Amino acid sequence: TTCLLLPLENSSSFLSRTSFYNNCWFFPSMYCLSLYNQIRFVKSALWYHGYGRPELYRLPSDGSAGSRELLLAFSWLLHRLSLLEQLLARNRVKTGDETSVCTCEDDLPNSQTGTTEIAPEYGLEDRVDVRYLQWLNGRLRFQWRSLHAQHQEQCKLLHKIHLFTSGSHMDQTLGHFSVTETDLVRQPENYKQLLQLLELETMQLEAFLEWKQLEPVYWQWMVMNQTDFEGIFSQKSTILFPLPFFPLQVKTKEEELQKEEFSATARKIQESVELKLLNLTHLCAPKKTQLHGSCRLVFRSKHPASKMAVSATEVIRELQMREASLERELKQLQEECRQRLDEIAEGLDGVICISP
Amino acid sequence: MSIVTVQLGQCGNQIGHEVFNAICSDVHGTHGLCSKKENESYCDACKERFFCEEESEVPVARAVLVDMEPKVISQTLSMAARSGYWKYDDRSHFCQKQGSGNNWANGYSVHGPRHKEVIMNLVQKEAEKCDRLGGFFTIMSMAGGTGSGLGAYVTQCLRDAFPTSFILNHVIWPYGTGEIIVQNYNSVLTLSHLYQSSDALLVHENDVIHKICAQLMNIKQISFRDVNQVIAHQLGSVFQPTYTAEGGLHYSRNPLGSFRDPSLYTSWLNPQDAFNVWKTPRAFNKYEKSASLVSNSQFLLKPLDNVVGKAWNMFASKAYIHQYTKFGIEEEDFLDSFTALEQVISSYTIL
Repeated sequence: TTCLLLPLENSSSFLSRTSFYNNCWFFPSMYCLSLYNQIRFVKSALWYHGYGRPELYRLPSDGSAGSRELLLAFSWLLHRLSLLEQLLARNRVKTGDETSVCTCEDDLPNSQTGTTEIAPEYGLEDRVDVRYLQWLNGRLRFQWRSLHAQHQEQCKLLHKIHLFTSGSHMDQTLGHFSVTETDLVRQPENYKQLLQLLELETMQLEAFLEWKQLEPVYWQWMVMNQTDFEGIFSQKSTILFPLPFFPLQVKTKEEELQKEEFSATARKIQESVELKLLNLTHLCAPKKTQLHGSCRLVFRSKHPASKMAVSATEVIRELQMREASLERELKQLQEECRQRLDEIAEGLDGVICISP
Repeated sequence: MSIVTVQLGQCGNQIGHEVFNAICSDVHGTHGLCSKKENESYCDACKERFFCEEESEVPVARAVLVDMEPKVISQTLSMAARSGYWKYDDRSHFCQKQGSGNNWANGYSVHGPRHKEVIMNLVQKEAEKCDRLGGFFTIMSMAGGTGSGLGAYVTQCLRDAFPTSFILNHVIWPYGTGEIIVQNYNSVLTLSHLYQSSDALLVHENDVIHKICAQLMNIKQISFRDVNQVIAHQLGSVFQPTYTAEGGLHYSRNPLGSFRDPSLYTSWLNPQDAFNVWKTPRAFNKYEKSASLVSNSQFLLKPLDNVVGKAWNMFASKAYIHQYTKFGIEEEDFLDSFTALEQVISSYTIL
């Protein structure tokens, strides 16, 4: 018997940021914040997601100006984060069989290996007793373990549900009930709530489809209104609009100018932009091996034919390999620390260092 | 949430049996002194914690019994079954015929590796029966050979096999004037090894319990059974289910408010973090009111220092060391153990 994972969202390498997104950090109740704090929040959220246009951050904190910059930033988010798709995924009716998977490489920049560790200058008042830190660490570890045990229990019970309802589902590809369906069987009066949620989801999907049809109009309008040509092509700015529209923009410029010397410059610009885009496409291309996001667990006895599905054993194997490589790295770092401690101890008189 | 108990050696098995007895009689007692619903949820939680109620008529203790000689285990199994209220799983035990001769090295280096697979299989079976494994509770004495040596080895195996589980070791501190001449060696080796794998060591000193029996309970002829029952009662009261929410329903005023005195605590931890209270309205073992205090403090500093000191004196003259080296525990291992315990002593001294 194997377990399958059906990816529910698009995988992309920006997904470490979507985990921030999924933590409900992005949409707190804004009504309780003052305008000043709302603006601060929006700026910091955009900064977190990598929005690099300085004009936005220079906007005043009283909300007196900046609707154009905000529109630009919003469009950027729309495209960069797949904002609407994220919202749809968030509001999806849960089957209860979901689990989250992440096999992404760590996003930490490699420049950390070059930094020297300088002990921060703490005044006497700032010093924390190391025993308190050890105690906190122990407590944290204990809470993590409790969480782990609860998670294991959830998996065990989910397995029981899948096992006991095997062969009962109308959909042959699934074969067993989900948690929500099982709950409905036991408490049929809950169907009203479920129906409401499904209707809500359907409305959102319909709205999304409407948007999708009108979307090209939106982007064209955005591009045509963007008079800050410099802003888009400058090195510092990180604005990028959807791929198909760049050639359109350059062509429009060419038609507008209609002079030989300008067309040569325009061709150069087009070439450099195409190169940049190619680079970025290459960087942004989702790597096949990286699975990230929410998946539905399906219990199966045979290996699936479906392309979308991933076997849980594969994912487990991959995670185990990652774990092993991280362990090696940890051991190496510990060894380095040990050597450093020994070196320091050698310099001290009458002191023996017994490494842990 | 379920706990798997591992009873190690003669002491471990006898105490384990008394603990399950105490818990079971508490659950079956009619004097819960609370509402029926309250009692039901208490009993349900307790049963899930310590017993498995699959196909048998009586609850089956979630336990693995290990000993190197057969007598105590068979006694334990039959006494439990005779009670009619609970029993052990007939297959969940492992014993041999030779014993360990109070030799820690024999238990750790010989019996341990030799029987590791069988023992861990039994543990794995019990663990799999739990929907939610809360952790392991091992019971052993420090002074002998099986409980201490094999116990230390099994604890290590538990840690390796279940890296994310909580392991609580219940350790019996021998009488200061105990009968086993090498008990201090065994104690030092046990403690230093347990420190590496365990999450917490819960200690009961024989001398202290003996005093309780003599002075508080006025027992004239104190037997091991009396001592074990006191220990079991204390453990039972600590392990039984309580409310988790602080703001929940309390039926009585908090008489433990005085425990907030900062002088009771270390300088680097404030009372709110250091002190936790768990309550339940349900009476334990027919006591209308009872309280148990589990503390991590300097209480054990003197006994520990004592044991280490005596062991060191023996070690300095190399007395009986050959009995350990012949099973693979070298002088260097002794030194490592002494070092580890000296660090513990020093940490607790400057607490």
